[in-house]
Amino acid sequence: MTGASTWAKELFATPLAALLTLVSGAFMTWLGWLALSWLLFHAVWPWQPAGLCAVRTGLCWPFLFEKTRLILFGTYPFDLQWRALAASLLLLALAALTGLQMIGRTRLRVRAFVVIWVSGLGFAVLLLSGGVLGLSPVPSVFWNGLPILLFLAIAAIAGAFPVGVLLTLARDQGAYPVLRRFATLYIEVARGVPMLTVIFVGVFVLPLMLPPGTYIAPVPAVLIALIFFHGAYFAEDLRGGLQSLSRGQREAARSLGLGYWKTMGLVMLPQAITRSLPSLVNSIIGAYKDTSLVVVVGIHDLISTARMSFNDPGWRSQALEAYILVGLWFFASCAALSAIGRQLQKDRETERGRVSQE
Amino acid sequence: MKLLTLTAAFAVTTIFTGAAMAGPVLDEIKANDSLVCLVNPNSPGFSVPDSQGVFQGFNTDFCRMAAAAILGDAGKADIRGIGFSDSMKTLVARGAHMASRSITATGTRDADTGMAFVATTFYDGQGFMVPASLGVSSAAELEGATVCAEDGSTTLLNIADWFGDRGMSYRVENIADKTARLEAFFSGKCDVYASDVSALNSDRLLAENPDDFTILPEVISAEPLTLVTQPDQELEAAVFWAFQVMLNADKFGITSGNIDTIRADLDAQPKSVRRLFAEDGATADMAAKLGLPQDWAYQVIRQVGSYSEVFERHLGSGTPFNITLAETQNASADQGGLMYAFPIR
Repeated sequence: MTGASTWAKELFATPLAALLTLVSGAFMTWLGWLALSWLLFHAVWPWQPAGLCAVRTGLCWPFLFEKTRLILFGTYPFDLQWRALAASLLLLALAALTGLQMIGRTRLRVRAFVVIWVSGLGFAVLLLSGGVLGLSPVPSVFWNGLPILLFLAIAAIAGAFPVGVLLTLARDQGAYPVLRRFATLYIEVARGVPMLTVIFVGVFVLPLMLPPGTYIAPVPAVLIALIFFHGAYFAEDLRGGLQSLSRGQREAARSLGLGYWKTMGLVMLPQAITRSLPSLVNSIIGAYKDTSLVVVVGIHDLISTARMSFNDPGWRSQALEAYILVGLWFFASCAALSAIGRQLQKDRETERGRVSQE
Repeated sequence: MKLLTLTAAFAVTTIFTGAAMAGPVLDEIKANDSLVCLVNPNSPGFSVPDSQGVFQGFNTDFCRMAAAAILGDAGKADIRGIGFSDSMKTLVARGAHMASRSITATGTRDADTGMAFVATTFYDGQGFMVPASLGVSSAAELEGATVCAEDGSTTLLNIADWFGDRGMSYRVENIADKTARLEAFFSGKCDVYASDVSALNSDRLLAENPDDFTILPEVISAEPLTLVTQPDQELEAAVFWAFQVMLNADKFGITSGNIDTIRADLDAQPKSVRRLFAEDGATADMAAKLGLPQDWAYQVIRQVGSYSEVFERHLGSGTPFNITLAETQNASADQGGLMYAFPIR
């Protein structure tokens, strides 16, 4: 059967299907026409004067040329923006390395991996903040746009992972029932509260708990809140992996004479993590997208710098372009994350297939 | 400007009461050779980053004014965009020297320690915008109207006061995001859009056809938007009088454009102008007492400009906001406005 006839058969199988096909087809044509006229027919091209953008209704290329750098780096000092760029690339490289490690393209030892992560994050912060190695200091209020989004998302996910491991270990044991109950309570509370509340707590309540006279900037306050929030989600993902292992694994490790930490560290957790990777990737995508909510407490991530770009008095009708640019970034980065998730799923299926054949 | 998170900010403020004594803030600014000034990160016309990430706008220029007066160089203002409640906390915790971010001076705010209200740079007030097709010419005719306003702001409280006092019924459409709120109003979801008059003027221009919308004459609240500094008598005096120099310059038609020619031939000028800019004038006397550069008044005008010049540059007829200074409360007292130039002598 050819492709075209399969299509026709599915789209026009019954009169109702045909009607639905026609209606949705018309709707899509209309949407496509709108998109085309915005993208092409009414667009202001790069070689046309920017003044036209206020009059024409289409995509304003001059705006993108003028403001993309502002949307990416915000108010980071203009001549130091190479540092913000380098920090962003470094953070992206860390994320890419982690993705490759997850799908088994790189096989770094755990210790080397942790060292790369800690030093990579530290170096990114150093690049952003300066104050050493002859780099002039830049306070965290100027870390805007892409670098702050990547830093908060990646540092929060990296910090939340060990928190999640500890929580899941505390919940998945019987020797200390009080500890288990506390871990359960913590996880349920953290998962039952919206992230917006957690961010507000980080910025407005956390400072109240610190000794008087200290001031904690929003960036570290929010980072701490995010780590403890995402930790609860990761804990549940990991617990799923841990519970799917057969009792025999634990008993075998015990009978070999391994203590609790070795049983967990060498036998149980590595398998549990591998098994829970798909759901972990899911949580990571959620955590990454949620990071943009920090805009409500005055941290200027991409959404906020996009707003700055079209609040410049000369460019006030270009909100759509700015939001589309940010949307494209989130779409591309989330697509990369989902690609990792799909690859993991595929690997597991081929593995299962191999096991059943043996 | 006026979020309800204000309460949280001042709850925190009370912790820092130790930091409230008058102190050598001015000395610190001079020692650092930099003045940290907080602005609203995203307020069109008042402070918004340009394409290079440098804040520009009406409020921003008063940070530059202070830096020009104290350090002799407007470029030494370290201007940082921070949200409202955070900028209060930062100021009180001594993380910044001043704030120029459209803060309404109110009694309870001034009674709090840790910050000082210094000079009102913009007199604003809350008003209403309606579609011209509604045929309303006064806010008193708004019985039963649906009002679009910002969630969690004093705007809503002012509306409640105003409609409540007159026994009029109304309904609020509470939309937090400004773009969405304006869209709701322009598309007819609400009858009335409430905000500060200065914002109404610029927001009206975002409509596809601005002439379809009119701003009602009633101004229902007083919003004196005021510069705030860390408490320090010398710093407060320097900022206050730098602002007075800008108002005085307007009185004598002095701008950044003609200051150099005027200064070149001071003897031909009125005595008041000589007192402003002469090397043995009143400002030089003040400079010695406050520890400012001897020519601070000249630097303020040359690098920043007079008050009307700053207003015109960011909000005037050459800008999308197209506000005529003389028609607002911010006109000079001579023109019937509220900007009254104190004598410098």
